[in-house]
Amino acid sequence: MKAVGARLPRYDGVGHVTGQTQYVDDVRVPGMLWAKALRSPVDHAAITRFDTTKAEAMHGVHAVVTWRDVPLLEFGHLSALGIPADEPLLAKDEVRYKGQPIALVAADDLATAQAAVEAIEIEYENRPTLFDVRKAFDADAPKIHSWGNWYPHFEGEMDRRQIRKGNIDEAFDNADKIISGVYRPAAIEHVPIETQIALAVPEPDGRITIYSCTQALYFSLGVVAAHLEVPMNKIKIVGGTVGGGFGGKVDTAADTLAAIAAMKAARPVKWRWTREEEFLASSTRAPWHMEIIDAVTNDGWILGRKMLTLHDSGAYARFSPYGLTKHSFHHTGAYTIPNLHFDGYVVFTNRTPTTAMRGFGVTSISFAVETHMNRVADEMGFDPYEFRLKNANRINDTSPNRIRYTDPSSVDVIHAIADAAGEELAPAYAAATRDPREGDMLPEHLVGQLKTEGH
Amino acid sequence: MAKHRGFGISSIEYPTGMNQNGDPSQAWIKVKPDGRVDVFSGTADIGNGAKTIQSQIVAEAIGVPYDWVTFDNSNTDSSPVCTGTFASRATFVAGNAVLKAAKDVKQKILEIAGKEMEISPDDLEIVDGEVLVKGAPTEKLGVADVAVAATWTHGVLMTGTGAQLNEFAEIVDPETGEVSGPPHAAISYAACAAEVEVDDETGDVRVLRLIQAYDVGTAINPSLVEGQIEGGALMGLGLGVLENSYPYYPSTDHRGYSIGSYYMPSSEDMPSYETIIIENPSADGPYGAKGIGEMANNGQPGAIAAAVHDAVGVWISELPISPELVLRALEAKAEPRREGKLVAFDDEKSVNTVATGISWTP
Repeated sequence: MKAVGARLPRYDGVGHVTGQTQYVDDVRVPGMLWAKALRSPVDHAAITRFDTTKAEAMHGVHAVVTWRDVPLLEFGHLSALGIPADEPLLAKDEVRYKGQPIALVAADDLATAQAAVEAIEIEYENRPTLFDVRKAFDADAPKIHSWGNWYPHFEGEMDRRQIRKGNIDEAFDNADKIISGVYRPAAIEHVPIETQIALAVPEPDGRITIYSCTQALYFSLGVVAAHLEVPMNKIKIVGGTVGGGFGGKVDTAADTLAAIAAMKAARPVKWRWTREEEFLASSTRAPWHMEIIDAVTNDGWILGRKMLTLHDSGAYARFSPYGLTKHSFHHTGAYTIPNLHFDGYVVFTNRTPTTAMRGFGVTSISFAVETHMNRVADEMGFDPYEFRLKNANRINDTSPNRIRYTDPSSVDVIHAIADAAGEELAPAYAAATRDPREGDMLPEHLVGQLKTEGH
Repeated sequence: MAKHRGFGISSIEYPTGMNQNGDPSQAWIKVKPDGRVDVFSGTADIGNGAKTIQSQIVAEAIGVPYDWVTFDNSNTDSSPVCTGTFASRATFVAGNAVLKAAKDVKQKILEIAGKEMEISPDDLEIVDGEVLVKGAPTEKLGVADVAVAATWTHGVLMTGTGAQLNEFAEIVDPETGEVSGPPHAAISYAACAAEVEVDDETGDVRVLRLIQAYDVGTAINPSLVEGQIEGGALMGLGLGVLENSYPYYPSTDHRGYSIGSYYMPSSEDMPSYETIIIENPSADGPYGAKGIGEMANNGQPGAIAAAVHDAVGVWISELPISPELVLRALEAKAEPRREGKLVAFDDEKSVNTVATGISWTP
């Protein structure tokens, strides 16, 4: 029997639906302590007083972990790609979002841990907050980071991601209509059934085993080892079966602090976020601000696109520079537009840091581009199928990065939904294929962007 | 006051693998003394079916029954590097790693079988757990017998390793965004059509029907592909009409504290689905597969927005398309600003209107 192409049942499906699969929270080990976090109750503040003495002295409390206990306090998720770290594992002098962790208590039980969290003496001096990415550039905008309100470390030390292609001014001069729109999808939650969780167990041989809900075992291994300043062989990440992960468990959320607490207490420590913490403090999908301006002709071609994107990173960078770069590479959607002018910024606000979520960087583009395509079609009197088929990627068309499309199937998928919807396409469009452009499908403005070989 | 039906479409693309590549996945395989196959991969299964897909690839590549394959991704001591389960990379990138490991171990099986059968490994193939002589299929030896011989006669551990690393695409010109090579492992395409019903009294938008077509390259497991497409669609529907982390934005108060206080799709929101799988094999995916896990929630919001316009004549350019936004738009009946050849929608939301520190010229 052939395995590829077979409708085989899910490898671990029966275990999942009968409750037999072992997730992190199902693992209980002798001597295990429970952890609770002190989190910022305010959006933006200086910490003016911070004293853990009373919490540490409480009966049943085995460790109170603060920023002083973290060997390397700041390690960026994209440090390996040369992107500087900006986020402390635990807040030190200031907090930049509601829910930011400040301390972690490990105690005999959850109630004791919570009581100890509440016994930590802390005072805040509130600072002005910033929530609107559009206002981050204003002269009187509150400052989120000492270096500014937007990420300054793109290649060439540029403070934005740019795409430039073709001759944008000529495209706009030659257009019959210039059509603009502004697109703003909201932040949304991951809502995995399994909230963020980690169990860290000090082993007799001096290693630490971390039962993790990570989507990326080696990513967590690298992040934990970096914060602890130990080689990778001191850490064993146990996982691989995740109770729902849509990008939010790519970030290492609970593993490192659970490990530090376990080392400090010399006992196993489990840190399980409540549903409320998951909503308040775990990362969301980013909200985006996107402005698109298209140069369009009366016969249905898009000659050029200008676009401005402000990507709301929340309080820290995490994966946002990566997400914005991916966004920029795909800002033409499934269409070939030869003249482009894209500027994108990763903007910091006092929201909970945003991060990867299913479709990272491109989900936003798909909504903005597709709504804009439908608006343009409606405004210009184009059939939305035919307008798409005309401008759709073909073999030998090139991407915003000047990469040749070798395997585009936009024409095939549009034909498929037209068929299913009972839409009758004009013969020229019904006969369209993904093959290299020629004839009416190769207007003069697309000639120069074609590539017939290489990448 | 009435309910209005509307129809709208979208077509999208999405890359496979980390943007700019450079994201390794590795795997290794060993054969037990009875021929059963143990796969060690670092790919987490987040509900996407990574264990199933990779096990199918291994079974197919070696030529043994699927239920001979054990898949272990349980820890970083036994499993080699996998960058992780994200960027739609588990089937394509990690799948290629296990495919290479499977081909490697298959060669080891054929070499031992060749010694046992006194024939060149090149003249052998493996079908359903048996090593056959090509063109003379009656001459055969079970893979289980080969494993016995490897263990106790030849003193050999039959293993295979595989690694997939697509070359990092450097941004060679940050002014233009020009890259040194393809910044993706493959690109997949999809299209979506949505039929909605909009209540012009309450502003409520119901998605009734989604027609969706995806080019998946090769469906390694059609049931799991359908699961991704239809499950992803419900996430796209949530993004499109229901969900908002900051319902009182810009206040950070009243964010959800329980699942019941956050608006996400439930079974009653599920539309009727028409799911079309197109198989246009990729040149370099395992058995021609592409990765569509993430794009499965990208197409719906744009199609829904167009369908809402078709139904009640207003464009909603924010998400979610909530009753409040629909009612406000119906009340405002805003027209774009038209000046010469310019048609400007949403002026009131532009940085030009809202900000002083950044501007943007149409």
